[in-house]
Amino acid sequence: MAHDDEIDCSGMNCPLPVLKTKMKIDGMAAGSTLKVITTDPGSCQDIPAWANRVGHEVVETGEGDGKFWFMVKRGE
Amino acid sequence: MSASFTAEELFQWIEEGRDYVYLDVRGEEDHARFSIEGPSEITLLNIPYYDFMEDPEGAVAQLDPSSTYRTICAKQGSAMFVAEVLGEAGFEDVRWLEGGMTGWGQVLIPKRISTPEGYELWQFNRPGKASCSYGLVHEGQMMVFDPSRNADFYTSFAEAHGVRITHLFETHLQADYVSGGASLAAATGATYHAHDGDFASSTLSYTSVVDGATVSFEGGRGPGVLCTHAPGHTPGSTVYLIDERYMVSGDTVFIVSVGRPDLGKKVVEWAKQLYATLKERICTLPDALMVLPGHYTDWGTEATEDHLIMNDFGTIKALNESIYGLDREEDFIAYIVDNMRDQPEVYNTIRQVNAGLLSPAAEELDTMDLGKNECAASHMAA
Repeated sequence: MAHDDEIDCSGMNCPLPVLKTKMKIDGMAAGSTLKVITTDPGSCQDIPAWANRVGHEVVETGEGDGKFWFMVKRGE
Repeated sequence: MSASFTAEELFQWIEEGRDYVYLDVRGEEDHARFSIEGPSEITLLNIPYYDFMEDPEGAVAQLDPSSTYRTICAKQGSAMFVAEVLGEAGFEDVRWLEGGMTGWGQVLIPKRISTPEGYELWQFNRPGKASCSYGLVHEGQMMVFDPSRNADFYTSFAEAHGVRITHLFETHLQADYVSGGASLAAATGATYHAHDGDFASSTLSYTSVVDGATVSFEGGRGPGVLCTHAPGHTPGSTVYLIDERYMVSGDTVFIVSVGRPDLGKKVVEWAKQLYATLKERICTLPDALMVLPGHYTDWGTEATEDHLIMNDFGTIKALNESIYGLDREEDFIAYIVDNMRDQPEVYNTIRQVNAGLLSPAAEELDTMDLGKNECAASHMAA
């Protein structure tokens, strides 16, 4: 799906995927979408749980080739 | 750089009742599903690590600078991160758990059981699973019962005690944890004993347990191990009577409750087997027999003052009057059915791994092997 920016956290372990995602999305406009790519299985729970907690929305997720991806829509 | 601590230290601190505050920084779901516990009450908080990113001041403000914090996460990175945040905020002596909950889930705590002279009996408690394996040592040889996946622990223990592992016993095909039996047998050359009732369709190389047979140490001296088939929890469940004094009871007899017979989806058939086993093979054993179970649920009711999970069979019957007091098969089946609950989905996969039918990657094994057991037929003593 269309997205406004992308961040590749492949090879990073917890807490870096969430930390990098947070720093990136903080600089984006409300309502825009960031694609996050990870390889750490822990991120599958943590990215949605974090997003939910801080008011962003994970609108789509997927996995393949040993990678996971998340479309995170920035909250207001 | 803040200091770390090991899973072994964590257990020791809980056991000693250290005045620490344990701060689990995983997400709320993970925390609710599986957390740390031990022989004494602990102060345990849950604040996800990402709260320390979004609003560090707000997260730190929930904590008391006069307390001593020990941080815990899934692996270790986030616990280290939060320990750093707290250190920068002026908290002193904050330390983080090495290897995280994955490491905690694998740790084994050896405790010696007092026995007559001539042999040693050890309980290897795995607090992250609430399960126990056992070691019987005599003249430089060790027999191991229900080894868990951490095979290095058993080989290191044997080396430190100057013994070699000569026999391995499975009480049944485990559904709730990955067995270390096959890998230990390969590493040590020990004879691997398992019952055909559970293992006939496995790809593993094992020696079939014979009901009523006694397995002895080389040389024929020392305590004998009498194999007693005890179907019910599984068709091949076996209990091992050591020196006529101890029973390694697997998931057949627990201190509180009995092993649930509904895991194979044949609840009535297996419950009938379990009822017959309890009446004909277990209740005929002496009250003084010390029961060494494969699992426990609650330290408070199931551990001795020395933090061993064991009790004599007479006391166990009294603790579980609601089970042992049932004198009709249909009442027993009704009790089992009333107390039934879902089993974790992963149990079916673990059974296939333990039968050698699946060989997942190490990281996948770590994940499936984590979490407290769900093996008892009921949760409460009565």
